[in-house]
Amino acid sequence: MLLEVRSLEVSYGDIHALHGVSFEVSQGELVSIIGANGAGKSSLLNAIMGITPLAGGSIWYQGKDISALPSHERARLGIRMVPERARVFPILTVYENLLAGGYRRPKNKAFEEKLEWLYSLFPVLAERRTQLAATLSGGEQQMLAIARALIAEPSILLVDEVSMGLMPALVDKVFEVLQQLNRDHGLTILLVEQNASASLRISTRGYVLETGTLVLTGTAAALLADERVRSAYLGI
Amino acid sequence: MNMFIEQLLNGVAVGAIYALITLGLALVYGVLRILHVAHAAIYTAGAYVGLFVYRATGSIPLATLAAMAVCGVLGILIERAVYSPLLKYPPYVPLISSIAMFLGFQELFRLLAGPYIIAFNARLPLSDAFIGHVRISAPILIIYVTSTLVLIALWLLLYRTEIGLAIRATSQDRAIASTMGMDARSLISLTFFIGSAVAAIAGILVGMHYNQVYPTMGTVPAYKSLALIVVGGLGSLPGAVFASLLLGVLETLLIGYANVPLPRDSLAFIAMIAVLLWRPQGLFGRKGGR
Repeated sequence: MLLEVRSLEVSYGDIHALHGVSFEVSQGELVSIIGANGAGKSSLLNAIMGITPLAGGSIWYQGKDISALPSHERARLGIRMVPERARVFPILTVYENLLAGGYRRPKNKAFEEKLEWLYSLFPVLAERRTQLAATLSGGEQQMLAIARALIAEPSILLVDEVSMGLMPALVDKVFEVLQQLNRDHGLTILLVEQNASASLRISTRGYVLETGTLVLTGTAAALLADERVRSAYLGI
Repeated sequence: MNMFIEQLLNGVAVGAIYALITLGLALVYGVLRILHVAHAAIYTAGAYVGLFVYRATGSIPLATLAAMAVCGVLGILIERAVYSPLLKYPPYVPLISSIAMFLGFQELFRLLAGPYIIAFNARLPLSDAFIGHVRISAPILIIYVTSTLVLIALWLLLYRTEIGLAIRATSQDRAIASTMGMDARSLISLTFFIGSAVAAIAGILVGMHYNQVYPTMGTVPAYKSLALIVVGGLGSLPGAVFASLLLGVLETLLIGYANVPLPRDSLAFIAMIAVLLWRPQGLFGRKGGR
């Protein structure tokens, strides 16, 4: 098991954001956690990444308990995140944002090749490499956030609500890229999404998160066919 | 005309000193969002350490290095012992503690070194320089050379090294920077070390330039540098440097040359009030952003 979350609890003051959440992700999977706004999706990813403290439970990565590790050490283990609303560094250039993603990695030929590959994946980033990230559109910032995470060659990519605020055409493009990364490059991806249909369509498995608790799980195909999912999240 | 040029050059030198102090404040504000009033106490400590080491050894480079090391460590201690534990409270809590520390340090200097002005008679390895008929005195020349070197070194560090990139990323979004493997704690300590070491250089330069070191020499720089980071745009490093140079020149020319009947130290606050009225994000600040 690459990532295993056991009875995770996250609270903010008196408010319980997550209550006893357990799930796992295996090597090479693309897993979606779908849920409505406020279900606790971002809290979940932030807790795995280590930027939100745990109130209980534990997180296991490559067989080790990482619950007590600070986020920068989790990052160095190969866990990377595309945060909600991208959160690129606004007054760094596009190129500097990518360099920040590759912090402490050798800036050798392999790094240059990776950079070129990301530029070919998102040509708009190459065009704007010397521009401040703050000047990018919302969609471009999402691409930059994805590229910034990928440049570190993560062993698992956590993607937080990447479809939010994007034009439908762009949503399709971003999900296509994620699917490609998973299928062709074997990258393990954990998606949390409000856009249930788009994310389940590219996923191997999925979970449904409701008010801080996982209520349903299954293969992506089974969830897409599930009556409750269809009525609650797909609007069918 | 020569008089004007000499005054202008003096103004740039004064501004360069302001820049060295204000940069540390801007760096600290960047990574911690704290108004580090006690920074001016570190500047004073730098002047004292520099003075005493110079008296003991007769070497300005040695005195400078010693002051930078002592002040750098002092900066880290302040960050670790006072600011870090207070970060979870509203910003006025670390601010009040910073003011308290500043006053406490002044009393400490008074107790340790005496309540009087000590002369900083340094024999400089430079003599007055002449460009045509314009004379640049040796202390001013030292200020030019040193501050230029320090500013270039800081620029290279912050904009051309990976650690500098990490400091800038951390000051823009600390949590997200940590998800890129950047260790915020050690980067913040490093920032305090750098800012404090640079303040020590400023303290020595001022001590030598005015030939005096005294416990309350940090008072005016303390509030003036606060006004300057507001004018430059909170946390903006180019803004801090630009505002400092501008103020140094304006002070010298308006008060010293044009004899405008205002207290010299009031200009910084007039500038701050003007900026807050018409451009609250500061000259180099970004609207609504950091």
